[in-house]
Amino acid sequence: MRLLRSCRLLALSGGIACGLLILQGDHAAFSQELRSLPDVTESSGDKAEFYWSRLRYTSSGYGESGYGYGYGGGFGFGFFGWSRDYPKADRQMLMALKRLTRVQMRPTEQVVDLDSDDIFNYPWVYAVQVANWTFTDAEAKRLREYLLKGGFLMVDDFHGTLDWQRFMAGMRQVLPNRPVEELSDNDEIFHVLFDLSERFQVPGEQYVWSGRTYEKDGYIPRWRAIRDDKGRIIVAICYNMHLGDAWEWADMPQYPEKFASLAYRVGMNYIIYGMTH
Amino acid sequence: MFEFLFKYPPAAFERGHLVLLGAWPVWVLILLIVLVAGGLALLDARRLRGISEAGRSWRLGVLWLLQSLLAAFVLVLLWQPAIAVSELRPRQNIVAILVDDSRSMSLKEGGARREDQAIEALRSQLLPAIGSRFETRLYRFDSGLTRVDLAQLGPAQAPATHIGDSLKQLAVETSDLPIGAVVLLSDGGDSSGGVGRDAIEALRRRHIPVHTVGFGAVEGAPDVEVEDVTLATRALAQSRVSAVVKLREHGYDGRRTRIIVRDGGKILTVREITLQGGGAIQAEPIVFDVGGAGAKPLEFSVEPLSTESNQANNTVTRLIDVESQPRRILYFEGEPRWEYKFIRRAAEDDPMVHLASILRTTENKIYRQGIDSPNELVDGFPTRPEDLFAFQGLIIGSVDAGYFTQAQQELIREFAGRRGGGVLFLGGRASLADGVWGGSLAADALPVILPDSHETFHRDPATVSLTPAGELSVICRLVDDPVENAARWDKLPYLMDYQDPGRPKPGAVVLADMHHDGRTMPLLITQNYGRGRTAVLATGGTWRWQMSLPLGDPTHHVFWQQLLRWLVTETPGPVVASVPSPVLLDQSHVRISAEVRDQRYSTAVDASVAARVIGPAGAPQQIELAPVPNDPGRFAADWTVPAAGLYVAEVTARRGSEEIGRDVVPFERLDGVAENFHTEQDRDLLEQLAASTGGRYWQPGELAALARSLPYSQSGLSSRELEDLWNMPANFLLILALRCAEWLLRRKWGIV
Repeated sequence: MRLLRSCRLLALSGGIACGLLILQGDHAAFSQELRSLPDVTESSGDKAEFYWSRLRYTSSGYGESGYGYGYGGGFGFGFFGWSRDYPKADRQMLMALKRLTRVQMRPTEQVVDLDSDDIFNYPWVYAVQVANWTFTDAEAKRLREYLLKGGFLMVDDFHGTLDWQRFMAGMRQVLPNRPVEELSDNDEIFHVLFDLSERFQVPGEQYVWSGRTYEKDGYIPRWRAIRDDKGRIIVAICYNMHLGDAWEWADMPQYPEKFASLAYRVGMNYIIYGMTH
Repeated sequence: MFEFLFKYPPAAFERGHLVLLGAWPVWVLILLIVLVAGGLALLDARRLRGISEAGRSWRLGVLWLLQSLLAAFVLVLLWQPAIAVSELRPRQNIVAILVDDSRSMSLKEGGARREDQAIEALRSQLLPAIGSRFETRLYRFDSGLTRVDLAQLGPAQAPATHIGDSLKQLAVETSDLPIGAVVLLSDGGDSSGGVGRDAIEALRRRHIPVHTVGFGAVEGAPDVEVEDVTLATRALAQSRVSAVVKLREHGYDGRRTRIIVRDGGKILTVREITLQGGGAIQAEPIVFDVGGAGAKPLEFSVEPLSTESNQANNTVTRLIDVESQPRRILYFEGEPRWEYKFIRRAAEDDPMVHLASILRTTENKIYRQGIDSPNELVDGFPTRPEDLFAFQGLIIGSVDAGYFTQAQQELIREFAGRRGGGVLFLGGRASLADGVWGGSLAADALPVILPDSHETFHRDPATVSLTPAGELSVICRLVDDPVENAARWDKLPYLMDYQDPGRPKPGAVVLADMHHDGRTMPLLITQNYGRGRTAVLATGGTWRWQMSLPLGDPTHHVFWQQLLRWLVTETPGPVVASVPSPVLLDQSHVRISAEVRDQRYSTAVDASVAARVIGPAGAPQQIELAPVPNDPGRFAADWTVPAAGLYVAEVTARRGSEEIGRDVVPFERLDGVAENFHTEQDRDLLEQLAASTGGRYWQPGELAALARSLPYSQSGLSSRELEDLWNMPANFLLILALRCAEWLLRRKWGIV
């Protein structure tokens, strides 16, 4: 019995140690990724018309993904919270935006929180892994006011039925009574800059080794939205797809160009739409 | 006294000239005066040689001067001075006496009505005095002239006074009669706005002097009167419009009352004011929502005070044409930015403004919003006048001038100057000086002189405040109360960026300032330019008001909706119909004019123009408008307004079978209203009328002198008379005075 208890303790300690090693490895990879980004330290303080604003929210800690379990929770960096693909995806998207449009932007991302009114200075915001988001009542109220005043929210990288339910649990806290609708190919958001009538599922980097475009039971990509009283999209929902990964891994030889290309064009359309409607 | 001393009334001296009737020539008189003066000098010098001293020489000079003056004066009298003056022949001339019969003459002052005072003056003084030398004709006048007997005068109840028309009628009706003079008894209250030049000319041609006798107090009893209301003639439906109510009061200094604006029975706004007193004009700005579309007679009233003698002058009516046709604005933006989005959102909430926009999203792509058809603006900014001039307003965003061709820059300038539209230049990193607009062909239309530098746009916060002009402007009126409104501006969130717009041009008006790091710069500058108007809003960061103020706060949208409406409300169409005044007070004539331009807004001289007038009687009347000589593109017609009421004239211009455009102008004839205003005696008008015809203004106590002055006139049947002056009592008094003065001085100085 005592031997059995010792073995259990040993196994638990080993598990914790392994977990910490994995964690350490993830951080090392993340640091490596940061080092590979263009040096933008000189321009990170620049003032600009457009800031790529990434929403930092409190994660629920589920951290569940199609290909493993993460360590989400709190405000820390990680693969399964607000900072997924951060900041490489953001910066590569900004490079494309600069090259292909007349938007005057800062080349570095801006992290915005819901615990201060500073978010109102950034009328376009991007959020990922929104299956994990949770809000206090004050945060939900602030995000609701942000959207109804004219702010624009793009959400990305959540997959399958369970993720949708968790996303909607947060969304209902923010906008309790506004319906979510499927966007038609004719919707203005798909034509404001590039004509994107033909779209397909954009997988994450996992496609490179799994060959699957879907994750969990999210087999069909869903382009959805929530509108305001005037019919303007205020929340653009990219469900069952991972545009952020496509931006991030666009320079990876193994990642198909067609996914990255569509992801960039969708991202730019959503930005231009958010700046015109 | 004057006539005692000088034998004749002042009029004889005013209208006559001096002559000498002596048989010997004048040079003999002058020579004699010189000789006598010289002789007196020699005589004095010889006789007083012994006592002559240096200190006394000037006193001798004074004595010599007095003696010489006396001698010269006596010599002049020997030459028989006289005055040559035209005099009416007794019993052969007619004096027309006109008595004001309008309602203002029934006002009581000093226990008697003005009209009763006039009739009594006629009965007891004027008629006996004048009638002894001339035939008299008695008339009463209001909006016209009627010959009456004394017994037929009164009571004064006519709703209007047209002094000029009455005098013209008199001149016509008596053209074959020897009218020697006109005596006009009135309080001077003329409801037609004054005596016209044509009436004066009709009298002056016949040399008929008009002697005016003023009745009524020059300064009225305690009273508040609305003098005037300044209000735009056109507005867009559901617009906030501003008006300036000018009032004058006597006897209520410091009292509080209210200005009320009504549309029919509906109160549009109420504003409390403090009366400033002193009889000076007090101007009170007032802002209100004009409501739905239609031609509206708005009532502007000052709430009557308890002891006011005349409450009928507390309300005036002004007509405003509230239009329901939405206006279109073209917004060209050179780069995606938040200001663009939030301006569009503000405009989307305004049903009266449609915003079509062109946004340069990439170097080679434009994105159009608010277009009427798929092909509209497909090639970007218009290159043809007819395409650009189809809009009523134009916004130029963050785009450098070099993006536009020179022809397009000229079109932007002409959009305001020739087309009459509104152009708004926004601040931005490619705007104003940073966009090299100062060197463009559109620079003349800018309301500012741009700075020479090219780094004027800064993404730094700037706070805002209203200028005094902005406090009165409807563009900047976020809340109706002006004090609260100014405080609201002071508390607005900071702008996200600012741009130095340079200096306002002469004639431009700065409505709001912005402040950064202790420096103050104009934020919103407007000016009238050509037929239109232009403005600069030197920021691209007002969107922060919408995002930073609480949810539901209308500040950003209200400001932009008002700015956009200002841009387009006054923008004319191809046809602009007008009348001199939309409210005709006791007037039956109106001149309907129209300015006609084609699609390129060049004057359309070959148009055929007609007006269809619908009045209270219901049956429309068709009027052809004729071209106005020396004014290309302008057409006009005179029309007699048959009765009081509201009229609407729809003017249509055609070129062949093609309709160029149409416009609607409302006007209202109000009878009997003007008589309630300016009830105190208008002495200025009576004095000017008398002076311009060779007559004189008299007070009721001077009627005897008036009667004696009447004969001296060149009109009617008159003859040249010579009136002796040598025997005037004043002459003998002067001789006596000279001799006495010499005697007194000699005694004082001891010179014998």
